[in-house]
Amino acid sequence: MYGGGNTFEGIKTDSLAQEDPAKLAEFEARIERGEKIEPSDWMPQLYRRQLIRMIEQHAHSEIIGALPEGTWITRAPGFKRKMALMAKVQDEVGHAQLLYSAAETLGKSREQMIEDLITGKSKYSNVFNYPTFTWADCCFISWLVDAGAIVNQLANAKGSYGPYCRALDRICAEESFHLKYGHHCVIYLASGSAKQRQMFQEALNRWWAPMMHFFGPSDKISAHTEVLMRWKVKMGTNDEMRNQFLDMYVPKIWELGFTIPDPNLKKNPETGKWEYTEPDWEEFKRVINGGGPCNKERLEVRRIAEARGKWVREALKSNKTAYVTPLA
Amino acid sequence: MTFALKELLYKMADDQLILGHRNSEWTGMGPLLEEDIAFSSMAQDKVGQSLALYTLLHKLGESDPDTMAFTRNANQFHNCILVELPNQEYDFSLIRHFLFDTAEALRFEALTHSSYEPLAQLAQKIRGELRYHTLHANTWIKQLGTATPESISRLQHSLELALPYALGIFEPSPYEAELMAAGIFEGEQALQDKWLVRIESICRQTSLVLPDLKVVTPVLGGRTGKHSEHLQPLLDEMSEVFRIDPGAEW
Amino acid sequence: MNSLDPRVNRLPEINEPVSPKAPLDQFGTFEVFVQPKEGKPFQHEGIVHAPNLELAYVLAKEAFTRRFTCTSLYVVDTRDVFISPMTEGDKNTYDYIQEPPEKADIGSSFEIYHLAKRGKQHVHAGTVQAGTPQQAMAQARQQFKTDKVIYNVWAIETDKIRFTTAEEKELWLTLPEKKFRDASDYKGGDKLKEFLEKMIK
Repeated sequence: MYGGGNTFEGIKTDSLAQEDPAKLAEFEARIERGEKIEPSDWMPQLYRRQLIRMIEQHAHSEIIGALPEGTWITRAPGFKRKMALMAKVQDEVGHAQLLYSAAETLGKSREQMIEDLITGKSKYSNVFNYPTFTWADCCFISWLVDAGAIVNQLANAKGSYGPYCRALDRICAEESFHLKYGHHCVIYLASGSAKQRQMFQEALNRWWAPMMHFFGPSDKISAHTEVLMRWKVKMGTNDEMRNQFLDMYVPKIWELGFTIPDPNLKKNPETGKWEYTEPDWEEFKRVINGGGPCNKERLEVRRIAEARGKWVREALKSNKTAYVTPLA
Repeated sequence: MTFALKELLYKMADDQLILGHRNSEWTGMGPLLEEDIAFSSMAQDKVGQSLALYTLLHKLGESDPDTMAFTRNANQFHNCILVELPNQEYDFSLIRHFLFDTAEALRFEALTHSSYEPLAQLAQKIRGELRYHTLHANTWIKQLGTATPESISRLQHSLELALPYALGIFEPSPYEAELMAAGIFEGEQALQDKWLVRIESICRQTSLVLPDLKVVTPVLGGRTGKHSEHLQPLLDEMSEVFRIDPGAEW
Repeated sequence: MNSLDPRVNRLPEINEPVSPKAPLDQFGTFEVFVQPKEGKPFQHEGIVHAPNLELAYVLAKEAFTRRFTCTSLYVVDTRDVFISPMTEGDKNTYDYIQEPPEKADIGSSFEIYHLAKRGKQHVHAGTVQAGTPQQAMAQARQQFKTDKVIYNVWAIETDKIRFTTAEEKELWLTLPEKKFRDASDYKGGDKLKEFLEKMIK
């Protein structure tokens, strides 16, 4: 699962100047025709760099995203939930595996990416820097954070880079279980006891702001990404993705009788767009830069996992195989 | 006869549930991504197998599976102590997986001939899952058991630590004779003998030294509800949400 | 660490540095191929990193076949995959495959994979007999080239593959029954309807 709000590097207009104009034109025409780019094709350096950055952030978000829900694996109530949550969190790890592989086709090794994650050099989705206090927080993630992720991933699956699209096709197919499972959990909380309803309402109150942040800063203040849109690296603006999510899920939340903690949230019947209180983008930046409630714990857990697995990886080292870039 | 059968089903179901639960703790924290996924799948298989066994018990008049799994206390559980021990490092988790799953695969293999038809059918159905579990365990043990001085000494240490508990898997039931006579199960001693042959054959392909079992004192008691200090906290954690409102649907 | 996660609270303190990671920490790469149904061709699904072929097989099984249907799986070291040039538009990659100068001999067999649409997966086209990967490519052109444009061809020496054995076919026996991993097992419609009716009252 993953949000937009990727931090793309600032793009200088001259960064394409040193590319071969004929090759660049051929590359852009191919994307324009709707053909996918494959790893062995020529591509501008900027395209390669930004894709690595985006896919890598996505992969990190999966592996870190396994933690807030993983918190509840040992406590899920009843067999049905226990098995589903185990499988769901496992899928997140599986998605990381698929996405790292896709990023590797662009020339960065998985171990280098993991190194950049645990040293804090690369980012992951902000939403996972918040704690899951109760079972209901876990249900919120399973349903709504995954729902947000699917909005993004379905859009990105129509992007231009073949290996990323293939990974996303597979991921989206798997996510349909997550979404249904998450909604199922929340329906049971909604229709359960007063205490169960209250648990979810409280989770909703806690998670609404991070959920709005999930899609990234408002288009008014986010970096210009026209070239990335033209190259089908970025498939929609942050506001478009957020609006699509609100359109699909606010009615479903209201249907269950819960209150979304934003008095200004409403759909404008004329524009067809949702209006809401502007999210606190200073808070968003603060959390991205390490100031969220769980940033430290998330990275520390990854670091400990790496350290505990070190002897295993060392023992498995072999000169019979060698690292090579995946083919597709 | 029902007592004997239920005792067999309970200990198998409890073993699978508790070990599945323990192994699931590794999800998202494994030593490599692909192994993280594999280990989680096997944990899911185990919890699924326990559910199938509790369902058989339910059909014999016991409570529903959720009630059995999420509301009993430690002294009502029949699992061997091996499966409730904390995960420790990956060497211990792997050795336990190897020792337990070898026994489990052999147990179900024997049960494919059980005169209790539902159990024979279950054993027949899950043979592929068990084949994967032992393929996984054997591949890893052979790999790490021949690799570096550190990996060999870690596995050796964990093997010695786990072995007394592993012998507890085969703690005899008060109903051994009855189960054998009725053709339900071949008995723990026969199982242990076959298990030892398998374990020895894998260890021989590594630098690991299997201690002489004659000088190893089995840790028993799990089958009669006498557990280590680790089981009750595990159960408390497992049922934390369930117990908020045991009558609720989650 | 003081965490809300009981699992995290149980983690040991680690004081040794984990960065920079050893350069050899990165294992080899293995390509994974899956047969979704009996009678269907194998298709490329992705990669795993592993220290050898056998462990690659063990790890690929859960990484790629725990969801959806599968009847068989195989893996091969990426270095054992011989690839043709990638083409586009109406250019057929087979037109760029040169006949190797040496005389064809039929030393071993090769599995041939086709990419029929850019962005999609490579799918098994058939098996050829040849002495070298170059000869296998030329053989494939003779046997499998049609009017349909193929953008990329892979040739993999059959002997280099870790296949699923006949007995291992049972590994996927319970896969169709693992409904807890399937969206269809989480139908909340009736519960929701019942709840909405209660709310209206």
